[in-house]
Amino acid sequence: MNEIILMAHVLFGVACLVTAAWLFVDVLHANETNLARIRRMSWGAAAFMWLAFLIGGYWYVTSYKVDKAIILKGPWPFAHNMVMETKEHLVIMLLLVATYLPIAAMDNLAKSKDARKLMLWVTAMIALLALAMDGEGAIISMGVKVALLPK
Amino acid sequence: MENTTISKRSIAFGLALAVACVVNAIIVVVKEKSEAVMGGMKKVTGHHWTTHSAIVIVLFLALGGLFGLTRGGRGMEMTTSRLIGILLSAIGAAAVIIIGFYLFVD
Repeated sequence: MNEIILMAHVLFGVACLVTAAWLFVDVLHANETNLARIRRMSWGAAAFMWLAFLIGGYWYVTSYKVDKAIILKGPWPFAHNMVMETKEHLVIMLLLVATYLPIAAMDNLAKSKDARKLMLWVTAMIALLALAMDGEGAIISMGVKVALLPK
Repeated sequence: MENTTISKRSIAFGLALAVACVVNAIIVVVKEKSEAVMGGMKKVTGHHWTTHSAIVIVLFLALGGLFGLTRGGRGMEMTTSRLIGILLSAIGAAAVIIIGFYLFVD
């Protein structure tokens, strides 16, 4: 069950990243015809991030202590001390930026150049932060793996 | 005709986002440095991270609503470039504080 939870966490996180990248391109070409889609996709990106956050948070609070003990005994203790510690707090900012996305998308992007500019920065921040979280997650998984490898 | 305005809602919640990100980083430093704070946060929800997340999320939503009500409900006025500058600075500073803390201090 733990593996399913972790895979769902990654799936929704990547879905948020991909949606943000999609939105960046869609906003570059914002007009009256794609405005409704941009707003729907913005809600989608926020929903994906909330799902990734809640599922990952549940796993972190209930199950991570086992992985943490394994990592700390292995050759990559920094996978917890540095990487997990930063990830668990940077991800809160990613959640807030993703929550802000549908709020910024409510402005008329077809008519306002500034509204488009704000959306482009917000989607770029989401994509970059999500990519960083993805990389940190990979390092944490590797921290467990190298600790379990036969010496 | 193009216009160059964003809504008071985007400004209010954008500023709330900036403040919440900086507060997020400050809570990291305070709770890691103070056992009393860490213990208190664990007591509230059973896990310090859950309490931490709840504080920052509620702060973002509350400040967003509050900033929108300033100036008799007209909200705060600001250029988009300034708002983006504040957002990038706040998120960048918060990330540097969090990463720097775990890299060099903790």
